[in-house]
Amino acid sequence: MPSPETHIKLIERLQQGDKSALLGLYDAYAKALYGIVIRICEREDLAQDVLQESFVKIWQKIEQYDSEKGRFYTWAYRIAKNTALNAVRKSTPLIQTDDLSVYTNKTADLPTDYSELNGLLKKLEPHHQRAIELVYFKGLTHREAHEEMNVPLGTFKSYVRQALSKLREAYPKEVLLLLLLVEMIGHG
Amino acid sequence: MDKKKILEDGLLEQYLLGELDDKTQKAVETALANDADLRAQFDALEEDFERIAFENAVAPPASVRDALEARIGDTVEEVPVRTLPNTNAQRNTGFWVAASVAAIVAFGAVWMYNQWQASEDNLKALETQTAALQERLSKLEANYEETASRYQQINNTNVVPLLLIGNEKSPSSKATAYVNHQTKEVILNAKGLRELDTDHTYQMWADVEGEMINMGLVKTDKDYIILRYIDHAESLNITIEPAGGNDHPTVENLISNVIL
Repeated sequence: MPSPETHIKLIERLQQGDKSALLGLYDAYAKALYGIVIRICEREDLAQDVLQESFVKIWQKIEQYDSEKGRFYTWAYRIAKNTALNAVRKSTPLIQTDDLSVYTNKTADLPTDYSELNGLLKKLEPHHQRAIELVYFKGLTHREAHEEMNVPLGTFKSYVRQALSKLREAYPKEVLLLLLLVEMIGHG
Repeated sequence: MDKKKILEDGLLEQYLLGELDDKTQKAVETALANDADLRAQFDALEEDFERIAFENAVAPPASVRDALEARIGDTVEEVPVRTLPNTNAQRNTGFWVAASVAAIVAFGAVWMYNQWQASEDNLKALETQTAALQERLSKLEANYEETASRYQQINNTNVVPLLLIGNEKSPSSKATAYVNHQTKEVILNAKGLRELDTDHTYQMWADVEGEMINMGLVKTDKDYIILRYIDHAESLNITIEPAGGNDHPTVENLISNVIL
């Protein structure tokens, strides 16, 4: 993840009209956002257009970003997700209006690398993993996602919270193991 | 909004994901701003979501970055980089148009005022100049009339010009007298007489049957002196007398005379 100091300076430069800072933010966040966008769009050409459009919107709306309210990535994620969802709605016949299961099996068209989730998410139980995937990587709302998983809304919310809680518990251990490994290599 | 409700309803997650309606979103933002513990939980949530995103990052092709770079360059004039709150481009445009018009009108008014002031000054200068020219013309006319009059007085067939040349007492002195017996006028040009000290003056006399009659004082700085005409004068005589003139001529100081 990019260091806070670096991205704060880039954001300030962009807010002051330095357009080159946008490319700096692109270099820092494009991969993470593209990982979201391509999983929502499920089409590389559309996802690429959406990513470009998202950064143009970031540029145009950078004045609206308030660091007091949250991280830049969170703000940029919302822009990218909404841009991707709009693009998908425009490019797909609206047959899914009453049938949210349209999202099901769509991943079959996506290159296998993108359909699989990586990192600590893989270590979560399948229903926890699926809950995070639907709301975070597919852009579904909680209401859409609980129907997708065919569980009550309250249950789905608890899936999300449990998933996040397990991730939080796991991360420090991962970081500790990583530091131990670096230390061993350093002394080796 | 109640902190417990926010946590139990999973509103922090939905707020992060941008799912909430405006009213609920504002309520969560207010709660976050006022509750440090809630804020700490949200910070952790953001960190987790961001970490998940980077763990599942996918590198886009370089063409996307190139296209973005080209688009920024192309649209740098079209896309407003900075927008001020509570304003819009139209209002700004209107403001600047109005400001420009006001500036032009203001500059125009100042320019017109300056032009008017300059015209006023020019007019005053012209009036002064005209008055000076009129005065000068009047003087010239007066001088011309005087000169023409003198010329008529001198250049007249009835006028007898008489040259008075200085004797041994003042050999370099010369004067010319113009005598008109018709109009009974005597005019003297005394510029040729030698200058005297301030205690003395020249005086002209008419000799009538042996008696010298005063015709008047003669100033050497004048080329046109009107003297008294004396009937039956036989000669004109110039003497040097004490300043202010004399009742009787000092004959031993006679410097010139001419017979009529």
